[in-house]
Amino acid sequence: MFDKILLFFNALLQQTGAANFAFGNLVMIAIGGTMIYLAIAKHYEPLLLIGIGFSCIVANVPGPPDVPGGPPVSALLYVVKEGGLFHYAYEGVAKLIIPPLIFLGVGAMTDFGPMIANPKLVILGAGAHLGIFVALILAKLVGFTINEAGAIGIIGGADGPMAIFVTVKLAPHLLGPISVAAYSYMALMPMIQPPVMKMLTTEAERKMGMPQLRKVSKLEKIVFPAVIAIIVNLFFPPVAPLITMLMLGNLLKEVGVTERLAKTAAGALMNIIIIILTVAIGSTMAADKFLTWDTLLIVGLGLLAFLFGTASGVVTAKIMNLFLKNKINPLIGSAGIASVPIAARVSHIVANQANPHNHLIFHAMGPNLAGVFGTAISGGIMLALLGVQ
Amino acid sequence: MIPDSVYGAILLSVIDFFLSFVVISGIGFVLSLFPYLNRLGEIDEKKLREGGH
Repeated sequence: MFDKILLFFNALLQQTGAANFAFGNLVMIAIGGTMIYLAIAKHYEPLLLIGIGFSCIVANVPGPPDVPGGPPVSALLYVVKEGGLFHYAYEGVAKLIIPPLIFLGVGAMTDFGPMIANPKLVILGAGAHLGIFVALILAKLVGFTINEAGAIGIIGGADGPMAIFVTVKLAPHLLGPISVAAYSYMALMPMIQPPVMKMLTTEAERKMGMPQLRKVSKLEKIVFPAVIAIIVNLFFPPVAPLITMLMLGNLLKEVGVTERLAKTAAGALMNIIIIILTVAIGSTMAADKFLTWDTLLIVGLGLLAFLFGTASGVVTAKIMNLFLKNKINPLIGSAGIASVPIAARVSHIVANQANPHNHLIFHAMGPNLAGVFGTAISGGIMLALLGVQ
Repeated sequence: MIPDSVYGAILLSVIDFFLSFVVISGIGFVLSLFPYLNRLGEIDEKKLREGGH
């Protein structure tokens, strides 16, 4: 009788995931928990980190094996594998449907006025992308193929949809770790960037104020998306889907006669996409797939890309100051790394800490928005040079 | 087009970084011409909103 009860409990245990818990699962659950903590307690990009962190935790709660004697399968995988809800969510990412839709929403919620108002600063959108190339060369040095290295390098563009887009084209098998690295570092930029920015600037430079930007007319704002869409479609067809949708979203916002569409693109549609995207990314973080040497290398290289990108943006701003009559606060250089508007906010906060009268958010938004185009241009040139359409 | 080697990675990086500067400077130049658009006239935002829906 006792033997049968024991047998029964054993069979029951095998139907659960409790018997299959591994140390790696605990590590990943701790990482997911940290993401949620940072989102709630520190307000680090809660829209991204809550979904990624939660699905990371659930993806690491093992279930019973899918087939007798097989490896344990997370309960989340039942909704991720073919036929499950998040299988289609992930397919939306992998088939490049979601990234252009994100750009549509970003365009519909973005005022490109600061970029149009001070065209000199767009150069920072290229200057802050040295990190892409540092990571690319290092990735090649540690043994990745040139396509994989290119995908890893684009993490340094600090632009999630663009990182996904380029990775799917160059190295789709690395989509999980690259998108996790890109989105995690974007969310953690308030921690990553300030030490580098402070190290490369003097107190006097951080305190520098900047004159108010000129007012940009409605006509300029309406013409802008069409002009940029023409330039990008003409010269960078590989990344045209993203920038075209970005500019369409912006046109919907600026024309004033499609308020409903702009609100939907920037609101409800964007929120749905964020939920799908964050869960799709977090669900790739199962320990057996994520805790690998390659993933650790990608995460490390991604961090270096962000650090070098931040540094090169600040240094580019300082070089520009050698030639400019009206000097700029070098802290806005780091905003050229893209990641709208996180990097611009970081520039503003660091400048404001040095001088409470400093309000650089609009000045930093110029290079920040230019950084989106900088990443797209770098990605487009990379795809073209590697012969990928 | 680009060899799968460290040399290829360096070559790709140098060309890409340089061209990014050139292209983004071009965009900056185009944007510097935008104020001239205002000579064409002004758009009344209130009228623009009323015209839709």
